[in-house]
Amino acid sequence: MSVSIILEHLLMVVAAVFCSILVGLPLGIASYFFTRVRRIILFVADVLQTVPSLALLGIIMIFVGAGKTTVIIGITLYSLLPIVRNTYLGLSEVDPGVKEAARGMGMSRFYRLMHVELPLAFPIIFTGIRIATVNAIGTVVFAASVGGGGLGAIIYKGIRVMNMKWIAFGTLSLMAMAIVFDIAMGGIETRLNRKFSGPSN
Amino acid sequence: MIQFEHVVKKYGDATVLDDISFTIEPGQFAVLIGPSGCGKTTTLKTINRLIEPDDGTVRIDGDDISEVNRVQLRRRIGYVIQQIGLFPNMTVAQNITVVPKLLKYSKEDCDKIVHDMLEMVDMPYDQYAHKYPSEMSGGQQQRIGVLRALAASPPIVLMDEPFGALDPMTRSALQDEILHLQKKLKKTIVFVTHDMEEALNLADVIIFMENGKITQMAPPEEMLKNPANESVKNFLGKHIAVDDPSTLTAADFLRTNVVTVDSKKSLRTCTAQMMRSNVDSLIVTDENDKYIGTVSVEDIKSVSGDDLRVADVLKNDRETFRVDDDAKRCFDKLLSTKDNYVIVLKHDDTVAGIITKTSIAKALAERLWG
Repeated sequence: MSVSIILEHLLMVVAAVFCSILVGLPLGIASYFFTRVRRIILFVADVLQTVPSLALLGIIMIFVGAGKTTVIIGITLYSLLPIVRNTYLGLSEVDPGVKEAARGMGMSRFYRLMHVELPLAFPIIFTGIRIATVNAIGTVVFAASVGGGGLGAIIYKGIRVMNMKWIAFGTLSLMAMAIVFDIAMGGIETRLNRKFSGPSN
Repeated sequence: MIQFEHVVKKYGDATVLDDISFTIEPGQFAVLIGPSGCGKTTTLKTINRLIEPDDGTVRIDGDDISEVNRVQLRRRIGYVIQQIGLFPNMTVAQNITVVPKLLKYSKEDCDKIVHDMLEMVDMPYDQYAHKYPSEMSGGQQQRIGVLRALAASPPIVLMDEPFGALDPMTRSALQDEILHLQKKLKKTIVFVTHDMEEALNLADVIIFMENGKITQMAPPEEMLKNPANESVKNFLGKHIAVDDPSTLTAADFLRTNVVTVDSKKSLRTCTAQMMRSNVDSLIVTDENDKYIGTVSVEDIKSVSGDDLRVADVLKNDRETFRVDDDAKRCFDKLLSTKDNYVIVLKHDDTVAGIITKTSIAKALAERLWG
């Protein structure tokens, strides 16, 4: 039972971050391409992050109903900011010399994005994904209040019946999960950064 | 052939290119030079349409390039920039074959290109092909930058201050290499620089720009001989017509404040004169100031007698030169004897001055650095 709860929690995190990448990456690219929409996109992502996560889930529940879908939608919205912002940042920070060379060589706009800009921006984009993931692990705890289950449910239950074991199990699993993800993804990040940087940048 | 016909480019109120017209012949090495903001880089970038002119036409081999798809156009024109701009996520081999791949060359052709290209600059394939740019020095990176521009054999190569960020040694090595490549491959090269030495080294024709206009377009020799105006002259600076050394004469190296003594003076006066001027020999002249010989401390010491005159001890064994004698002969004489000066006479045999090692050094320094 306990393992399945951890997996349930993890599933919601992964699904939400995945959706967030799916939505956030194009939004980040759009912000990089179009100066006009950039302000709007970054502003909306900013505002979403300021809404208390519990309230955000509650609002979505009213429209979608209780359950995991609500949680996934909520956490997706909540994770957008780091992914959109880092995508935009990563793309704009690609060495201007490299961008000019790509243009001067005769790469089309799309080819440049796929073969030069995105690969070079990837380490920074990945940092955004790591931040989003670690945040989501904590935020998914609120899933319990909208009927999503997960480790949050065990902690709530433990609080209600004053069972120290349940509270401790939920909390420690959450902490362990966050730490493992942070360290693992941090490791990948350093390797990505090392690959592209050297005497030249 | 690249033709500019009345090309105009404006940014707001500022006119960057002001009605520019010129032609670069096929196979020519053209260097655009001028002060910052003169429009040289803008001119270069209109050729591959990184910048679109507001007015006028740019033609390549007669075709108006504004009617050519710009992405296609750029694939047929090599491009090298100062920031080098190698793709850090690609190996040397991948960087070199960027354009061939865009042009859909086969994998075998691409491999062959990498081999040929690296061989051309003496960078062994096994050692370099699979390196990432960050593992190489700036000079090696820019070599790859040049190879990348040449890979798909474009007839035209544009270079925007390609060696500007390199140290002087590497820069001159790469200049030699690019000249060599140009001779071998017969490309039309348009090269932007602000370094006149580089321009003089490389160019078949130099295009000097100022305030968005062409001040002068001429081969290096012609520009050195007849700079069009003051600012071209300033840019040429130290490179401008230093006199041909074979025309230099003794007069160019003279030290004129020399101490002479009349041959009728007594030896006592003569010694006093030497002490006053702090020298150990004097040039002796007759009453008409004509040169007749020299007198040294040793000569005076070797004789005795109170009433002796300078005329009694003077020596006339020194070779003298005329003011219009070849300077090199004076130098050779000065260096081959133990005398520390040679005497130079005017045509009426009066003393013009002497040449010492110090006076040579001073005069040369003045010629070199003004």
